[in-house]
Amino acid sequence: MQVDPAANAGYLIAAYVVTALILGGYALVLFRRANRR
Amino acid sequence: MTADSTGARRLIRWGQILTGVGLVGLALVFVLALRYTPVERFQGLPQKIFYVHVPAAWSALLSFSLVGISSILYLWLRDPRLDRFADSCAAVGLVFSLVMLTTGPLWARPVWNTWWTWDARLTFTLILFFLFLGYRALRGALQDPGERARFSAVLGILGMVLVPFVHLTVYLFRTLHPQPIVLKPSAPSLPWEMLRTLLLSLGVYTVLLIGFVMTRYGVNARASLEGSDAG
Amino acid sequence: MLEFLRVALTVAWKDLRVEHRSKTALVSAIAFAALVLVIFNFARDAAAVSREMLAPSVLWITFSFSGVIALNRSFALEKENAALDGLLLAPVSRSALYLGKFLANLAFVFTVEAVALPLFVLFFGVDLSGILPGMILTAILATTGFVAVGTVFAAMTVRTRFAELMLPLLVLPFLLPPVIGAVQVTARLLAGRPVSEIAGWLRILAFYDLVFVTLCLLLFPALMDE
Repeated sequence: MQVDPAANAGYLIAAYVVTALILGGYALVLFRRANRR
Repeated sequence: MTADSTGARRLIRWGQILTGVGLVGLALVFVLALRYTPVERFQGLPQKIFYVHVPAAWSALLSFSLVGISSILYLWLRDPRLDRFADSCAAVGLVFSLVMLTTGPLWARPVWNTWWTWDARLTFTLILFFLFLGYRALRGALQDPGERARFSAVLGILGMVLVPFVHLTVYLFRTLHPQPIVLKPSAPSLPWEMLRTLLLSLGVYTVLLIGFVMTRYGVNARASLEGSDAG
Repeated sequence: MLEFLRVALTVAWKDLRVEHRSKTALVSAIAFAALVLVIFNFARDAAAVSREMLAPSVLWITFSFSGVIALNRSFALEKENAALDGLLLAPVSRSALYLGKFLANLAFVFTVEAVALPLFVLFFGVDLSGILPGMILTAILATTGFVAVGTVFAAMTVRTRFAELMLPLLVLPFLLPPVIGAVQVTARLLAGRPVSEIAGWLRILAFYDLVFVTLCLLLFPALMDE
């Protein structure tokens, strides 16, 4: 059922990048709000 | 008064520390999952999305339960801290369900050749997302703090009771309709290398959840102490 | 208990009588239902999708959309005339108030459905002989479910600025179990399946109603607190 290994890797990377962006981004938002003095 | 603001500041500090630890842990999990965990035979590389998707689901569900429980407690005890806690959990839950909602289709596409299927899990993800969204929208639209707290609490409780019904109806709907054989990624017998990555990821996500909630709670507490209601 | 019911029925009756005098909301809900039915009929590619396949979903989309429209106006009257405060001043149980509102909304939505159903039969050419009681039972069970929750949200959103947007957003997840169940039952009824197949779904619908009507009765007072 393996279609295209390169494309598959693409989805994997995309998912990890998106996760990092969302979680990291939210952390950033919180840090900015916490330290805005 | 001073005790409260010290408490808030302490929460903010420790919340940020925990979040930082969580983020470092997340990077470690990424490395572990991508480099040091075997590739699954049937689904290939995309299966590894499992290690970021499933813990997000766990965190979202946990947040949701916390919102429900603190909503019940709030209506009973009317302590504004419970409302603030529910609000923080709902905000954090929205973030995790966003991760679910984005990684889910990215996983589905290479494996099942479609971005979306109305199977029990993905539909459930969508509903959870809408419930969190609705909760935030409702809070945003209400000015009076007491009203906001009470109305969100009612929504939180109704939502918590709804979830098993949605799961049940969608599950029944799917099992009655012949579906192509879909490989269940969370098979009961997971090889150790995969299991340990999953467990580590679950732990990291939990740390992140706690860190997020603490920081947000602390920020809101500090803001309300300073007179401006951060909602 | 009797007093509780009396208050509820009084509230419901008052609500319906006001509605009766200004029939605009009822007419627009029915017109909307007719519009949806007509559009679906024309939008469908007759070669690809049969009427039978589409019918249950279309019927329930019509019912639930019109239902939400009906719910929107549920507390709008009170908001405009600050009549809610007057209601709350009366020494009556808040839950009784809810029951009254709920019953009035139910009557309203049932009326819309009663008009939409013949239109549906007309446009989709379905044969309801023999299954009409089943259809009516399903409609009652599913509608009760989403009107119960919808009434609570209508009370909430009437205090917000974008009530017409907030209400559908909030109510959407709660529409799923009743509507999915209703579509399942309707599809099976239209296909002539035996009762044994639908009993399970009907039980779920009934259980949903039981749980949520009770929950809403209990939670509504919290919305009216001062």
